[in-house]
Amino acid sequence: MSSQTSPSRELPMSSPQPSPVAEAPTSGGETNPIRDAISEAIAEHKVILFMKGTPEAPACGFSARTVAALQSLDVPFAAVDVLPDPRIREELSAISDWPTIPQLFAHGELVGGCDIVTEMYESGELAEALQ
Amino acid sequence: MPSPDEIKQRIEASIPGAQAEVEDYTGGGDHFRATVTAAAFQGRSRIQQHRLIYEIFGSEIGGAIHALSLKTQSPQ
Repeated sequence: MSSQTSPSRELPMSSPQPSPVAEAPTSGGETNPIRDAISEAIAEHKVILFMKGTPEAPACGFSARTVAALQSLDVPFAAVDVLPDPRIREELSAISDWPTIPQLFAHGELVGGCDIVTEMYESGELAEALQ
Repeated sequence: MPSPDEIKQRIEASIPGAQAEVEDYTGGGDHFRATVTAAAFQGRSRIQQHRLIYEIFGSEIGGAIHALSLKTQSPQ
């Protein structure tokens, strides 16, 4: 028998198995204008909501509920519609490690999605977090 | 398409000691609401608590599971 070195080790190239999730090629992180634009928007706005549709015409019940909570607190907020380009949502979720929309950020930090925002609204914590 | 019971079992299997109640709240089989009680949530922010659950389902969230509404709490 010929003695080969570490036959158990599999080279990645021998089994090309792309993740089934990654439909679009993920750019390795050299230049990523969409991700940079999202990060800048989060940094520049004290309160910013990424949602489906617009505050005037939400395209999803969860986004609508989150907008309603913000509006009833009379908090000014920036809003970004994620629907026009699926990459916005992909990059946003990569930044925030949060899979769903809407996503509310305040002071550069993720506050939460619809469930957390609603809970915080009801307990009074939301107004405090957005100050 | 996962059933409420399957989602419940996966949550309880993944987070030791967790108790989950899951309902299909639109009846369409893809919008679920889960209330999860687990000692593992203690000392974690709401965001961290929800992430623990989202991680179980990975890309199914937004896919086969269109929406998973969460309420998390620690046992009293």
